[in-house]
Amino acid sequence: MLGLIVRRLVQLPIIVLVIYTLTLSLAWAIPGNPLENPEGRQPKPEVIEAMKKQYNLDSFGNFYWSYLSSATGFKYLTDWQSGEIERERTRAQAEGQAPPKRYVFDFGPSLEYEDWTVNEIVRDSLPVSITLGSIAILIALGVGVIAGIVGAVKPNSMVDLGTLVVALIGISLPSFVIGTVLLLVFPVWLGIGDVGSSSGPLDMLLPAITLSLPFAAYIARLTRMGMIDALATDYVRTARAKGVSERVVLIRHALKNAFLPVLSYLGPAAALAMTGSFIVERVFNVPGMGQHFVNGVQNKDLFLIIGVVLVFATMLVLFNLAVDVLYRWVDPRIA
Amino acid sequence: MLKILAPVILLVLVVAATLVTDRPMPRADFAFVNRGDVNTLDLQKMSWMQDLRVARILFQGLVANDVFTHDYAIIPAAAERWEVSDDGLEYTFHIREDAKWSNGEPVIASDFVYSWRRALLPDTAADYTKLFQLIQGASAYADWRQAQLDEFAESELRGEDRRLAAEALWEEALVKFDEMVSVRAIDDRTLWVKLELPTPYFLDLLAFAVFYPVYPPLVRQYESVDTETGFIQAKTGWTKPPELVSNGPYMLTSWRFKRDMRFEQNPHYWDLDSLNLDTISTPSINDPNAAVLAYSSGVVDWVSDVTPAYRADMLADKMLFYEENRAEYDALRAQGLDVFEIDRQLPDDPRKDIHAVTAFGTYWYNFNCLPTLPGGQPNPFADARVRRAFAMTVDKQSLVEDVQRLGNPVARTIIPKGSIGGYTSPGGLRCVSDATSEAEKQEIIAEARQLLVDAGYATPADVPTIEILFNKDGGHDLIAQVVQKNWQEYLGVSVRLAQKEIKVFRDDLKKQRYMVSRAGWYGDYGDPTTFLDINRIDDGNNDRKYHNPRYEELLDKAAVELDSEKRMAMLSEAERITMDEDLPMVPLFHYMNVYLFDPDTLSGLNSHPRTEQNVYLFDILGDGKGTDRVLTMPPLPPSSVGAGIDPRGIETAILDRDELFALRTRPAEAQPAKEKGK
Repeated sequence: MLGLIVRRLVQLPIIVLVIYTLTLSLAWAIPGNPLENPEGRQPKPEVIEAMKKQYNLDSFGNFYWSYLSSATGFKYLTDWQSGEIERERTRAQAEGQAPPKRYVFDFGPSLEYEDWTVNEIVRDSLPVSITLGSIAILIALGVGVIAGIVGAVKPNSMVDLGTLVVALIGISLPSFVIGTVLLLVFPVWLGIGDVGSSSGPLDMLLPAITLSLPFAAYIARLTRMGMIDALATDYVRTARAKGVSERVVLIRHALKNAFLPVLSYLGPAAALAMTGSFIVERVFNVPGMGQHFVNGVQNKDLFLIIGVVLVFATMLVLFNLAVDVLYRWVDPRIA
Repeated sequence: MLKILAPVILLVLVVAATLVTDRPMPRADFAFVNRGDVNTLDLQKMSWMQDLRVARILFQGLVANDVFTHDYAIIPAAAERWEVSDDGLEYTFHIREDAKWSNGEPVIASDFVYSWRRALLPDTAADYTKLFQLIQGASAYADWRQAQLDEFAESELRGEDRRLAAEALWEEALVKFDEMVSVRAIDDRTLWVKLELPTPYFLDLLAFAVFYPVYPPLVRQYESVDTETGFIQAKTGWTKPPELVSNGPYMLTSWRFKRDMRFEQNPHYWDLDSLNLDTISTPSINDPNAAVLAYSSGVVDWVSDVTPAYRADMLADKMLFYEENRAEYDALRAQGLDVFEIDRQLPDDPRKDIHAVTAFGTYWYNFNCLPTLPGGQPNPFADARVRRAFAMTVDKQSLVEDVQRLGNPVARTIIPKGSIGGYTSPGGLRCVSDATSEAEKQEIIAEARQLLVDAGYATPADVPTIEILFNKDGGHDLIAQVVQKNWQEYLGVSVRLAQKEIKVFRDDLKKQRYMVSRAGWYGDYGDPTTFLDINRIDDGNNDRKYHNPRYEELLDKAAVELDSEKRMAMLSEAERITMDEDLPMVPLFHYMNVYLFDPDTLSGLNSHPRTEQNVYLFDILGDGKGTDRVLTMPPLPPSSVGAGIDPRGIETAILDRDELFALRTRPAEAQPAKEKGK
């Protein structure tokens, strides 16, 4: 187990470096000048040139290495070792300036939202995304597992057919349709909840339900298939022959094995739910991270694009690792 | 079993942690949806409408516009009075003694000098630097600083030497500013400024948020010299609470990224008694539909920019409501009442909560005026006759009625008619939708075709395929399709559409990689030059690369003309040249601002075409806070109100707004805006 964790953690920087290189290459190729406002008056070309230099946007190589150095903490480390950070602090104090804000992993400034750094944006939006994703996965697990069990107990029955149809709808209907309908029914018609508010998990219930439906549908299918297989096994038959109650057979014996495919799906599903909720975030006005990638690309905000991608990539690797560890813990035969 | 439940327990713990740490705030007295997320609260770097709106909540300039007068009269703000020299060049402002920053420190004259210097420095990359170059010596100073920075960039110095040199450079720039630029803090309460040329709209400019002051002791803390470029750069952080210090009616107590902003009364504001709201909040709602639903469910009291496609249907419903109350509506309108006041006096009905008012902005199509296109081929639009032909064959009425459906006024000029006091708009070039009969329409089309023949295109097939460039979203595609159809049908030319992402679109526009493109502009201040300057050859927003020495000569002459009437006549002639003869752009329609608010409960919005809404004047009627008195525009003289108008926008009801400006209906003291403040 320890070997697995170490191996994955060693792989992590390599994976992230490849993703960083690919993302930056693609983002760099997007046409348009990231330093210009799409609307309104424009700074003089000389000013734009100086700003490019200031942000190392004057060449791909400069940007690649400077960003890599800041985002990996290498720059912080070398500045700390050379005493530059201390010197900066002393100089600022002597000149009556605010102490410079330094991050170990510095993702740089946002070019679009001038008053914010990418670190601040991630700090504010990542917890929101994690909460939304967590609630969505909880709902998906609850709904999906129950629907899967119900379908598996009486396969090809009307109940099974019903759960399959609902699962199909869950996968097929776009989030913005489901989201808008939920908004209309609950806050607007029934007066339950608020539109545009995201002050806690309760406000996240409707967006989480919207986000959870495709995951619930997939979990239902996985559980159903796993349960059908498990219920046909010898040990289940033996348990029934010994007079074990049907509830215990289903939950304790069959589900334990049927749940393993669901468990392995949970890693990528959780990462996706926590990062890929752009449409749900927009419809329900949830200030999560999903929207930043899309907005970043639209505005060619290189710092934001790469910052968000690096966080997403790291989350994906870590979640997969967590699931693998959990998998081996639940079923030691795998190890 | 516990093992299976482990991931569930983990997820529950995450949610519980959020529950504990994220406590919701109570609803503010007034909540509104701003046009978009605030980009920056650095006053000198602002240019977006939503940023400027928040700036007016937090900060205050020397003067302000009285937005409840028809000419947007200038009234005292941080300055209690001022004197202007006879030649119109020198202004002396006296800052009121009780003008304070939110930390209790007095607002002093040097705060303005510091802030205006920031705006002038190329280092700040301020969008509105050019406005500050009206000050004597400012333009020369900006050029000097740029040359200084360019020279430094070439320098071979490295390490500590470079840092010291950059700091010395900045010290020199500070000294030079005092030597070159004619703006001085005579003492703490007296600010003196001298302009290059008499500028009749200078006071109006000072009411614009980029001229407001920032708090120097705070901003200085975040400034540092970039050793590589020599630039002074301001680090982020000072614009957010609790750091931000402001001098306006409210202070910023919370700013959660993409979530909300919250404002509370500034206890040191000099006119605290005039405020009607204790707290204001602006949740960040970017989805157009969610914004409407937020209003419907009572989360917000005002949506400042209603953009879903169905807003036209909402306005149509309002028209039905007017029809149902026709007699009462006509009677109120005959009294010359403001459009919001009319709504207020009509029976309560949710249909009347939507409001469309004409804005100080115009939507148009650019023609690239360069002789050749980027590929090297000849550009047909380099010839004014071709531009005129294409401009004449756009059915603007159809755009307004079938695409926009908001009651937008059709535009024949770039400056919205009647939006600037004392200015007479030229007639503008006639187009197919001006025709009153089919025969007249055919006559216009024939004239346009003849213009093409005169320009050397014997048949429509000789005209190269025309490409219309526009950006995605915002309904630009529908407009382009109509224009494409018009040109194909009336001129017989081939037209193709090029839709691009906003940044790519903008880049193409800046580099003149287009033939025809969509464009638009909102005026910044109450003078025709806010629109006309963008057609000067050296203006950064002249994306058309239009150049006419006669046009610029008129603008130059107007810039030194002291007689207001003559000056306006020169500017009107300049606009006539572009709108009747040269057509570097074809104006299509004037923008509408669409609001959602309940006129029975919310007061403080004005329906003036400049649509500068000052949230600090708003009042929730009947909430027991503030004066609870209705604040409204003064009535129009009955003679200026026409019959049979589209009730969606009161501006279309005004037959001749110039007449209105001449009348100046009521003295300022008698207006409700003033009564309220007392």
